[in-house]
Amino acid sequence: MQAISIESVSKVFGAFKAVDNVSFDVRPGCIYGVLGPNGAGKTTTIRMINYITIPDQGVITINGVKAGRQTQEIIGYLPEERGLYKKMKVGEQLIYLARLKGMKLNDARASLKFWLERFDAYGWIDKEVSELSKGMQQKIQFIATIAHDPQICIFDEPFSGLDPINSELLKEVILELKAKGKTILFATHRMEQVEQMCDDICLFNRGKVILEGNLSQIKRSFGRNTVNLEFEGDGSFLNDLEGVRINNKSVNFAEIRLLNGIDEQEILKAALRHVRVMKYEFVQPSLNEIFISSVGTDNVPKAEPLS
Amino acid sequence: MDFNKFFLVFKREYFSRLKSKTFILTTLLAPVGFLLIFLIPIAISSLSSERERVVYVVDETGTIDHRLVQANPGLYRIPDTTNMDVLRGEVMSRKVDAYIYITESVITNTGSPELVYGGAGGLMFIQGIRSDIQSAVRTELLDRSDVNPEVREIFNKRVSLQTSKLTETGEEETDTTALFIVGLVFGIVIYAAMFIYGAIIMRSVIEEKSSRIIEVITSAVKPLELLLGKVIGVGALGMTQFLIWIIAISGIGAVAGMFMLGTTPDAATGEALEQAAASGVSFSIPDIGIELWIGLLVFFLLGYLIYSALFAAVGSAVESETDSQQLTLPISIPIIIAMLLINHVASDPDSTLSVVSSMFPLFTPMLMPVRMAVLDVPLWQVLGSIVLMALTFIVLMWLSARIYRVGMLMYGKKAGFRELARWIRYSE
Repeated sequence: MQAISIESVSKVFGAFKAVDNVSFDVRPGCIYGVLGPNGAGKTTTIRMINYITIPDQGVITINGVKAGRQTQEIIGYLPEERGLYKKMKVGEQLIYLARLKGMKLNDARASLKFWLERFDAYGWIDKEVSELSKGMQQKIQFIATIAHDPQICIFDEPFSGLDPINSELLKEVILELKAKGKTILFATHRMEQVEQMCDDICLFNRGKVILEGNLSQIKRSFGRNTVNLEFEGDGSFLNDLEGVRINNKSVNFAEIRLLNGIDEQEILKAALRHVRVMKYEFVQPSLNEIFISSVGTDNVPKAEPLS
Repeated sequence: MDFNKFFLVFKREYFSRLKSKTFILTTLLAPVGFLLIFLIPIAISSLSSERERVVYVVDETGTIDHRLVQANPGLYRIPDTTNMDVLRGEVMSRKVDAYIYITESVITNTGSPELVYGGAGGLMFIQGIRSDIQSAVRTELLDRSDVNPEVREIFNKRVSLQTSKLTETGEEETDTTALFIVGLVFGIVIYAAMFIYGAIIMRSVIEEKSSRIIEVITSAVKPLELLLGKVIGVGALGMTQFLIWIIAISGIGAVAGMFMLGTTPDAATGEALEQAAASGVSFSIPDIGIELWIGLLVFFLLGYLIYSALFAAVGSAVESETDSQQLTLPISIPIIIAMLLINHVASDPDSTLSVVSSMFPLFTPMLMPVRMAVLDVPLWQVLGSIVLMALTFIVLMWLSARIYRVGMLMYGKKAGFRELARWIRYSE
C-alpha cells in the first residue's frame, strides 16, 4: 500500500487549470521530492493531499484511506506560507496545534518537550512567539509540524528563509524522521537541494507531471552527457560553442549539456584555447538539466527562472 | 463537525483573550464610562430643578392676576410696578423669566394675552402658562355671567374631566417616551456590542491570515469549527465582561448606597440605585416583566450570533483590516434602519410594518423587544422570529465557512461583492 497515492487528480480555478490529470505514488518510508517552477501546481497538489482543498476530479488516498478529516491527523504539514500566533506562548501554541491534530494533552506535552530539547529551544517555552528571532520562529514552526508524531510529513519549500545552520539542522532532522520510518514529501523549486536527499521525485510543469520515478534511475536514463567545467579567465568563448546548452553559468563555472552527439573532447579543446581549465568533469545531468530537457526550453516559464 | 476541535478553538479564543491586556483594560475602564453616562443626566436634572421660575402678571382688569397667584403661588407674582420698561429690564436681566400682560379684551375673548419671556423655559413652560390663564379666564367669565351654582358645578366637572383626560394623554406620552428610550438604549447597546465583539471576531480571522498560520490551522480544523469556535468564544468573553460589570456596578451601588443612606449594604443593594434613578431621571423606568427580560436576553444573544457571523464572513473575505471597511459598512445598515424604525414600532406596534420588520431577522434583536414591551406579542410571532433568527444564523455561518474556504488561500486579492458571490457559488 502506498503512503500517498494520487490518481488522475485535476483542480481548476476559474479558467486556470492549476493541476491537470496528475498521478503519482509515494512509497512508505521514503523521501519524495515534488519539483518544478513556481506556479506549476505543487502547492495546490499538496493542499489537496492535506484536505485543505478538494480535487475537482480524481482520488487521493493516504495509507489507502481517501483524503479527509481522518487522514489530516496522520499528516504533518509545513506550508510555504509560514506563521504562528504572535501573542501566544511557544509551549501553549505547540500544545494547541498538536491537540488540533488529535493528540492527547499528555502526549502533546511529552512530544513538545522532546522536540524543543532536540532543537535546543526548551528555554523558549514560556516566551511569546513575537519575542523570538526569525530563525527561532522557524524552528518552532517546524516543531509545530511534527509535534503530533505524524506518519507522513509534508514540507512545502522547507528551506526557504532558513540560514545555513538551520538548513543543516532541518536536513538532519528530516533524515532522522526517515530513519524512524516516516514518509516525507517535500516540494521545492530549488532542485539542487533535492538531489542530495530524495529517493523518488516527480517533476511538475504547468499543472502536469512530466516525469516521475526513482531519482537515480531517472538520472541514469539521461546518461552521461553533461560537462562541468571550472576555469579561470574570460568565459565568453562558451557563447560561441555549437551543439551545446549551457546551464548554471557563472564567472568561473559552467554546466554544459551536450546535444546532437557532440564529442565532449571538442569542448575541452575549445576551453584550453581560451581559458585556464581548473576542473573538467564528465557527469550525469543535474535535475535542473533534466527538467529543462524534459519540458523543452520553450516550455519553461520565462517569468520565473529556475534557480 | 468535530466537537473536540470546536471546543479547542473555543477555549483558545476565550482564555487567550481573557488574559490579554486589552480585555483587562476595557473591563476596568468601561464602568467608569457607564458611571459617567449614569451620573451626568442626574447632575443635569438636579442642576436645572434648583432654580424656580417666576412670571410677573400685569393685569389691567385686576381679576385674573390673583386667580393665577392662587393657582401657583411659586410661579406667578404680581409686580410692584406696571411700567413696561422696568418689567422688560427685569426679564432681560433674568431676574424674572417672563411677564404676562392681560387686558379686558382677553376676558371678553377678542384679544390674546401677551407673554414676554427671556427665551428660557421652553415649550412646556409656555403651555403651562397658557392652560393656567385659560382656566383663570374661564372662571372669571363664569363669575361675571353669574351662572347659578349647579351649572357652574357641571361646568367645573367638565373642566376637571377635560384636565384628567389631558393628564392621561400626558402619562401615555411619558410611557411611550420611556419605552422608546428603553428601545433606543437597547438598540445602541446591541449596536455597540455587535461592532465591538464582531470586530474582535473579524480581526481574529484576519490575524490568522496575515500571520499566515491559516494553512496550519485549516489542515487540522474545518472552517465551520474554527469560525463557530471564534464566535462562541468571543461571545462567552462578552458575557464574562458584562457579568463582571453587572457585579461591579451593583457593588459600587451598594457601597454608594451605604454612604448616601447610611444603611447596611444589603438593604441598600439595588434599591438605592433604583431610587437614585427614579428621583434623578425625569421618567420612571417602565415595568419590565420577566418574559421581557428573557426575550431581551434571547434576542440579544441571537442578534449577536447573526451579526458576528456576518463579521466572520467579512474577515474571511479580506486580507487586512483596512480592506474590511467596504464590507463592514453594509452590516451597519440594517442596524441603523432598525433604529429608525424603533419610533414607529413603539407607537404603532400592531401595524403590518411593525410586525413584518420585527420578524425580519436582522431587525428582530432591536425591534421585537420594543414590541414585547408595548404589547403582548402573539406567541407565534415571538417563536417564529426566534426560529427565523436561528435559521439565519445557520445559513450565515455556512456562507461564512464557504467564503472562508476560498478566501483564505487568496492572498493579495481584494474581494468585492461580485467576487464574494462567486466564492459562495464556487464548488470545492
